Amino acid sequence: MLRVAVAAAIGALALTTPLAAQWLKYPTPGTPRTADGKPDLTAPAPKTADGRIDISGLWEPNGLYIGNIAKDLKADAVPLTPWGAALYKHRQDTASKEDPTGWCIPGGVPRSDAVPYPFKIIPAKGMVMILYEAVHSYRQIFTDGRPLPKNPNPTWQGYSIGHWDKDAFVVESTGFNENSWLDNGGHPGTEQLHVIERFRRKDFGHMNIDITIEDAQAYTRPWDLTLPLRLVPDTDLLEYVCNDNNKDLEHLVGK
Amino acid sequence: MRPIAALCLALGAPVWAQWIHYPTAGIPRTPDGKPKLSAPAPRTADGHPDLSGIWDIEHNRPCPPVGCDDMLIGQEFLDIGWSLKGGLPYQPWAVALQKKRAAAGAVDDPGSNCLPTGIVKSLTTPLLRKFVQVPGLLVILSERSTEFRQIFTDGRALPADMNPSWNGYSTAKWEGDTLVVQSAGFRDDGWLDRKGSPLTEAAKITERYRRPNFGQLEIEITVDDPKAYTAPWTVTLKHHLLPDSELLDYVCLENEKDLPHVRGK
Repeated sequence: MLRVAVAAAIGALALTTPLAAQWLKYPTPGTPRTADGKPDLTAPAPKTADGRIDISGLWEPNGLYIGNIAKDLKADAVPLTPWGAALYKHRQDTASKEDPTGWCIPGGVPRSDAVPYPFKIIPAKGMVMILYEAVHSYRQIFTDGRPLPKNPNPTWQGYSIGHWDKDAFVVESTGFNENSWLDNGGHPGTEQLHVIERFRRKDFGHMNIDITIEDAQAYTRPWDLTLPLRLVPDTDLLEYVCNDNNKDLEHLVGK
Repeated sequence: MRPIAALCLALGAPVWAQWIHYPTAGIPRTPDGKPKLSAPAPRTADGHPDLSGIWDIEHNRPCPPVGCDDMLIGQEFLDIGWSLKGGLPYQPWAVALQKKRAAAGAVDDPGSNCLPTGIVKSLTTPLLRKFVQVPGLLVILSERSTEFRQIFTDGRALPADMNPSWNGYSTAKWEGDTLVVQSAGFRDDGWLDRKGSPLTEAAKITERYRRPNFGQLEIEITVDDPKAYTAPWTVTLKHHLLPDSELLDYVCLENEKDLPHVRGK
């Protein structure tokens, strides 16, 4: 059931490696364990040497939000502009057949936070890397104090800087191109998209990302949502090559 | 000549047009502020050389008579064995396959099809790559198709039964100041270069990474693939640091126009 639900939910992504087939088994160092050796996912969140919450690890979205990132919100909580509403309706009416990820293009932000494949958060000097299994891509989040560029080259993944605010790792991103899809359903993002993600690790096995979406072309005001993540212990990323034998395009035919 | 470059890579971002200028932290500089690339290699807190940085290939191939193209391809990209006297020691079937691939205009080159290029070709592509060394792990972020590769340095062994993949599985340990990387678990249909030199599931690849000074990275690659080659062979790549820049977003599949030309349609 789970695999069927996940597959149906993500739909627009070519599935070559079902989650249930994660075959790499390697005990993740530093994982607290119960008496029977299982990872204790409700143990306290680990801390780094400088006393901050350590958000590193292999994390997985639960798959419930990739179809509609605003699933938990009331209908009027997504303040689409008339332009944004028309574009969203068009994408809904055409069953997302123009979804760029159908062509194996990276999903961008915050969509990559919702795709139900694991991603690995790796803090490094001056930045935090996120390696994504799905579509085999990565993001660099610069933590060296640089500002966001004033006139960035528009990209699918945008340009991200991060800093710590108490126990939250706060990531600010801009520089997206004009064709962002925030979810499979097609909530739009434009070159004006500005995303704030607050990564809050609650305990060893659980983290929330509190997200603020701001995009004056698509939305009348900033709006908020939260995506839950769970830690995936004792395994690692698999090689996921979206365009290797991609069978999605033939199904992305609209209505 | 021009088609070689045009066909090999969907070119969205010429290397010398790297437009992101941001001073790389920790680079030793001369009094006039220029990076001092002959300075000693940096080291991590545990005393090992730090291989982190953005690395560019050796520009060892002269421009064609018509002038330099939009991206400088290295010799090893076209022929990984170009520096070896007599070339690569192909098995008979392997040289037949290589010739067949080349004669077909390398139409099935995974790179031309926006598929992963594998670990050898990802070190010879003229697009940039960034090494990020953290405790227990070396990550290589490639500009090309935002691919990444993980090299585990936490002491683990190679898995006994690996799922065949483009990049395989890599573990490494330090021998003095050299990081020795062992990789296996490759697919059976790999390409090591543009001319189509094969790599098979039987392959084991050893890479020896050395950073002789701040600005240089030497990568000695030994391919031991008895199915495709009659003996192991070794080549050395010489990369140089590209300071004060950053990787660009390169999405091979976006607006991809190469393949119809490669296929001649």
